[in-house]
Amino acid sequence: MAMHVFSYRLKCLLRDKESVFWTLAFPVLLATMFHFAFGHLMTGEPAFEPIPVAVADGAAYQSNFALRQMLEAVSADGENQLLRLTVVDREQAERMLAAGEVVGVILPGEGSDTGDATSVSLMVTQSGIRQSILKALLDEYLHSYATVSSIAAANPVALFGLIGELGARESYTQQVSFSDVLPDSSIGYFYALLAMTCLYGGFWGMRNTNDLQADQSPQGARRSLAPTHKMAVVLCDWAAALVVSFGEVLAVLAYLAFALKVQFGSQVGYVLLTCAAGCLAGVSVGTLIGTMVRKSEGLKVGILVGVNNLMCFFAGLMFVKMKDIIARNAPVLSYINPAALISDAFYSLYVFDNHRRFFTNIAILCVLSAAMCLVSFMQLRGERYASL
Amino acid sequence: MQVFRAYFKVVRASAGTIALYMFIFLQTAILVSVLNPSGGAGSFEETRTPIAVINRDGGAPLAQGLADYLADTFRLVPFPDDPEKLQDALFWRNVEYIATIPEGFSQAFMAGEEGVAIQKAVVPDSTSSHYVDLRIDKFLNTARLHRDFGAPGVNAPDAQAHLVAAVRKDLSASTPVTVTAGAASDGTVPGYSHYYSFMSYALLAMAMLGISSTMMAFNKAEVRLRNLCTPVSVRRMSLALAAGHGVLAVACWAVLVLFSLVFHGKALLASGRLWLYLVNSLTFAVVATAIGFAVGSFVKSGSAQAGAVNVIALGMSFLSGVFVPQSIMSQSVLAVARFLPAYWYIRAHDAIGALVGGASSGATSVASGAASNALGSIAPYLLIQLGFAAAIFSVTLLISKERQLSRV
Repeated sequence: MAMHVFSYRLKCLLRDKESVFWTLAFPVLLATMFHFAFGHLMTGEPAFEPIPVAVADGAAYQSNFALRQMLEAVSADGENQLLRLTVVDREQAERMLAAGEVVGVILPGEGSDTGDATSVSLMVTQSGIRQSILKALLDEYLHSYATVSSIAAANPVALFGLIGELGARESYTQQVSFSDVLPDSSIGYFYALLAMTCLYGGFWGMRNTNDLQADQSPQGARRSLAPTHKMAVVLCDWAAALVVSFGEVLAVLAYLAFALKVQFGSQVGYVLLTCAAGCLAGVSVGTLIGTMVRKSEGLKVGILVGVNNLMCFFAGLMFVKMKDIIARNAPVLSYINPAALISDAFYSLYVFDNHRRFFTNIAILCVLSAAMCLVSFMQLRGERYASL
Repeated sequence: MQVFRAYFKVVRASAGTIALYMFIFLQTAILVSVLNPSGGAGSFEETRTPIAVINRDGGAPLAQGLADYLADTFRLVPFPDDPEKLQDALFWRNVEYIATIPEGFSQAFMAGEEGVAIQKAVVPDSTSSHYVDLRIDKFLNTARLHRDFGAPGVNAPDAQAHLVAAVRKDLSASTPVTVTAGAASDGTVPGYSHYYSFMSYALLAMAMLGISSTMMAFNKAEVRLRNLCTPVSVRRMSLALAAGHGVLAVACWAVLVLFSLVFHGKALLASGRLWLYLVNSLTFAVVATAIGFAVGSFVKSGSAQAGAVNVIALGMSFLSGVFVPQSIMSQSVLAVARFLPAYWYIRAHDAIGALVGGASSGATSVASGAASNALGSIAPYLLIQLGFAAAIFSVTLLISKERQLSRV
């Protein structure tokens, strides 16, 4: 008997074209759009580009050998090129700056009140990281100058060796990484999207409650009369919703992983576990809203969509950094938000080597789902109607 | 007038859903603009890249000196030596550079050993990582010079402290920087710019939803048949409906503009570009009306309408660079996006943002003599948008006329 209820429930749900659109086609569409919008950014940050800069040519520049040497060294072609240098007269340089062709203009011989020939100053249109790099380079020149002066004063004997060493820039940094993953936050959009797909399983949970409660639909009234035990019906419906939802999430997951090449790490089993836990939470949310709100179907769908959107928003679906902002400023909120828990589970599988955080997420998710199911089942079980 | 009034009675029924879209938009727009504060022009400020320094060589004065120098130069975010937390922070860009001073670093450096290095975890090849590299390398290169060529006293017991003092003295010089007005070619995007970019999505969704809802209500077979019996001519009724569409779209636009003034009023007025943003968004309102009209003519059920609104509004916005700047989208996607009106809205939007005369001098340079010039530079984009609107209107009219005739 249970099999019968289950299989017919499955058919009912799958024939609901509108819900299939929202729970399956819509996430796929959204994923495609995400992919087009920033899919090619998946490889990481935009690579560093040499900074275009102009130098005001003149006697001060030509006579300043040290500055010239330094600027030419950092604008030489190669892996360590920092600048794209243009040497033009001052007016031209300022025109280029105004037109946005260069980030800054280097003005040799200016910037000190005493008219010191070795001084240098920088002209920019705004503050920013590229302007800061320009300033850092010019600072470096000033600093070398200071070093030479101070060593010349303290240890004049060494000056000769020092000049030879001055141009040698040794690199004192060495890149290490915590794990093999690229720190790429745009992947968070896809994780949040998958979380949304899981939570959209709520449509099925809600549909079930509609068809189960005698005061919500004629089907509900009819099914309440059936001699099958109510709990059996509830559980069969619930299982059918879970199966449909899980199937859809798997389809979306496959689309993300194989068609769009979104990285989920290599632990397939755990990824599937997250999907299952996510669907459980989604169906539970839908069931809970469906049993608690006893108004028109439109209102219930509206509440479900609103709640889902809000949860996904806090999980970073619309603005990917949101998830982290919440996690740092209101951690409680991210522990009770199923969407954040799901996407964080995917994230920690991808990024971390140990599973501590992953299992914390899954455990909380399961507890939340269990609590929601319990409340809804209690409600569904104890229903009596004076009149319909 | 009766038809017109009836129109807004129908609109009231879908006001809740329209408001929902506006709410979602406003919430996103506010958060994004709060998180990206408008860059203050005027004086130059060095970017204080957020970094974390893990000093495993704690007691040594050289390591401490370097850590202090970095703390003074950048924005130091305190983090415990916990790989998971650090990894998290780097992933979300709470820090952009994690420098780890390994144990025994100072000792090895003072002894002149080869290959001593600060370990860095960075976003590979990012601009900020180059920036921090520069400063660290300079500190240690200067230290190296003092170590090798400095006064003979450097081998004393407090050599490291002396070295740090000498290096800090050398590194105290700072290049004078002047800031002039010029093209805002990169860097911070003001909050109102984000707002007007996202606004096209909200405007499109709201206008589409409102217009198509009323059209569906008026196109219901019974309602339509009943209306055809009235003494009001079909032409007058269509005109009243068209007026309704227009008023509705302009109302949506006006509400969104109002909120832009509430949140960014001062900055917008100071930029002198407000009127250009208004012209551009009003043009897009025409496009949104046309699309809403098309959707209203073709969809039959409420669920199809909801699907169409979401797919069209989100799809077009994503492909056209409403949410993600066009400059970082791939060329092939942009090539396709040219066939979408929102693409041209964003082109105009970006052109307005790139106008010479940043926030510092904007009001004078943009508003007066350059005004006609500025409008001229975005006029082609406006005309293309209007062209799209006209095309969508005529095709819709043609097809629905055809349908009506075939039904008789």
